[in-house]
Amino acid sequence: MMSPLLPVLLLVEDDPAEARLIMRAMEKVQMPARVAHVKNGDDAVAYLAGEAASGNRGAHPLPRLVLMDLKLPRRSGLEVLQWMREQKSGIERIPVVMLSSSPHAVDIRQAYDFGVNSYLVKPDTSEKMLNMLASLKEYWFSYNQAPLLEEESV
Amino acid sequence: MANKVANEALTDDLRARLESLQHESIFRTMVESVQDYAIFVLDPTGVVATWNPGAERLKGYQAEEIIGKHFSVFYPEVDKRNAKPRYELEVAAEVGRFEDEGWRIRKDGSRFWANVVITAIRDKKGKLLGFGKITRDLTERRAAEQRYRLLIESVTDYSIFSLDARGYVTSWNSGAQRIKQYTAEEIIGKHFSTFYTEEDARAGMPEKVLQTARDTGHWEGEGWRVRKDGTRFWSSVVVTAIRDEEGAVTGFSKVTRDITDRKKLMDELQRHTEELELQVAERERTNAELEAFSYSVSHDLRAPLRAIEGFASALNEDYGETLDETAKEYLQQIVIASTRMNRLVQDLLNYGRLSRIEMSQQKIALTPLLERVLNEGAHDSGKISLSGELQRKVVAHEATLVQVLQNLVTNGLKFHKPGVEPRVEIAVRAADGNRVRISVQDNGIGIDPRHTERIFKVFERLHGIEEYPGTGIGLAIVKRGMERMGGSCGVSSVPGEGSTFWIELPGGGKA
Repeated sequence: MMSPLLPVLLLVEDDPAEARLIMRAMEKVQMPARVAHVKNGDDAVAYLAGEAASGNRGAHPLPRLVLMDLKLPRRSGLEVLQWMREQKSGIERIPVVMLSSSPHAVDIRQAYDFGVNSYLVKPDTSEKMLNMLASLKEYWFSYNQAPLLEEESV
Repeated sequence: MANKVANEALTDDLRARLESLQHESIFRTMVESVQDYAIFVLDPTGVVATWNPGAERLKGYQAEEIIGKHFSVFYPEVDKRNAKPRYELEVAAEVGRFEDEGWRIRKDGSRFWANVVITAIRDKKGKLLGFGKITRDLTERRAAEQRYRLLIESVTDYSIFSLDARGYVTSWNSGAQRIKQYTAEEIIGKHFSTFYTEEDARAGMPEKVLQTARDTGHWEGEGWRVRKDGTRFWSSVVVTAIRDEEGAVTGFSKVTRDITDRKKLMDELQRHTEELELQVAERERTNAELEAFSYSVSHDLRAPLRAIEGFASALNEDYGETLDETAKEYLQQIVIASTRMNRLVQDLLNYGRLSRIEMSQQKIALTPLLERVLNEGAHDSGKISLSGELQRKVVAHEATLVQVLQNLVTNGLKFHKPGVEPRVEIAVRAADGNRVRISVQDNGIGIDPRHTERIFKVFERLHGIEEYPGTGIGLAIVKRGMERMGGSCGVSSVPGEGSTFWIELPGGGKA
């Protein structure tokens, strides 16, 4: 009997140090997810689109949650978000949490305009990061009901 | 007084006529009562035949003294030499009357300015019987006219002169000469368009000026005018139409003022203002660029700081058992340093933001605001007391005011004397000019008066990091924040006893 695979958390972060620290923190809080890490906006779209097209349920299913930085090379976090919300394959419903270093009201407002589900500002100490991810885990992987994606109903 | 009649001087006819006239009581009353006019009769040769009280008053002679004498005795020498008296009689005899204004001499030799009318008296056949002479003293009026003319003459700052109905110059004053350089002889009789620039003259400006004055009564304006030597001056001009009793324009008066200096000053002022505005715009642009730069730099510094702190902590947590005390201490230092730098960056960002954001200000009640300061700060609020007129309101930007006060309170508690429990008192009172002063007084180490200005500058610290922590930006934030809100701040201190930092803001009434 195959143990049910953990859901995927797509981490979109270009800075290797940040990514490393985030992933370490996720391990520490025991995030119940497999973390897929891409380093730019194009790769994020490729990951999401590629999987939908191939319908490969195997190694790389559609993520339960997208944790994305705003400032990315090639395609910005907002552009990725915009692309996602334009899809008709179910991708448009995937919850997106912005994890950005910018605390500016303008950026926050824009993210919500583009359809983000939640906006978090990167904390400056590792302790605070741990606390934040612990809350994130509780909220999105325990309490939150994920939307049904079309593939699942098939 | 009765009119005496000299027998020798009169012909019978005249005498008879006069006698009959004299018996006319109305005539007698009138002539006798007139004090202001000399009314008397001359025989055809000019000898005085009658006299009246007015004549006595005016010329000083009693009737007995003058009747029988020739009337040329009233004239100045120069007129007598020129045979003026006889000329006047000749004209009167020929034309019927002669009117003139001129000097006359009194009995005591003094002169007066007279208006004289000589009328020929003829009988029904036209035979000349004599002359009636009415003389009026116009000395007063002439004196007034003289004074007026002198006044105009003497005004050197204003060019005041008159034009005839067509615009030809008819009078001049010293001011006109000073400003336009023409003498009276040179300019009287010339057309006033001489004073206009070529362009204005060609454009028909002089005529437009006169027409406007005719239509509306006057013309006022500023413009270039030309002096005799061709140089230009900026003038302020008023042209007024002069009318006679029927309302017809008989001429114009023109008052011109040379305001070239004033215009030059105004132009310079304008130029300076524009230059200043350019400089201010330039400075603001530079400031904006600088602030944007420092802001983005500060912002970008946070990522590497996160990395430093994050990995140092990770190292400590994940490999703590394998590390000796020294290694752990080194890691500690790394974390402390990066934390400190993080705080610096945060303060810099706050400071930069203070300069940039739009600050909308409202009336804020101090009591709830101070509560917020006490509760939200990371300090022991038990050591802080409030006093004074807490019911007052101020006009400020709330978030900034909270930050300012928190910084002051933090400082007040931070710089305490070793071994002495820090206490801070926040007091509110009214200040001059409808302002409110909030002072934060502590019992700390105080500040040397030499440093009271320095400490408000960015990165200025009076103590080493080991003595008292801090970034050196807290007070700079206070100063900048107060500036942006239109308030002020300052400090008074006694080293060793404590400091009182104060801020002042516009008052907003009472809660």
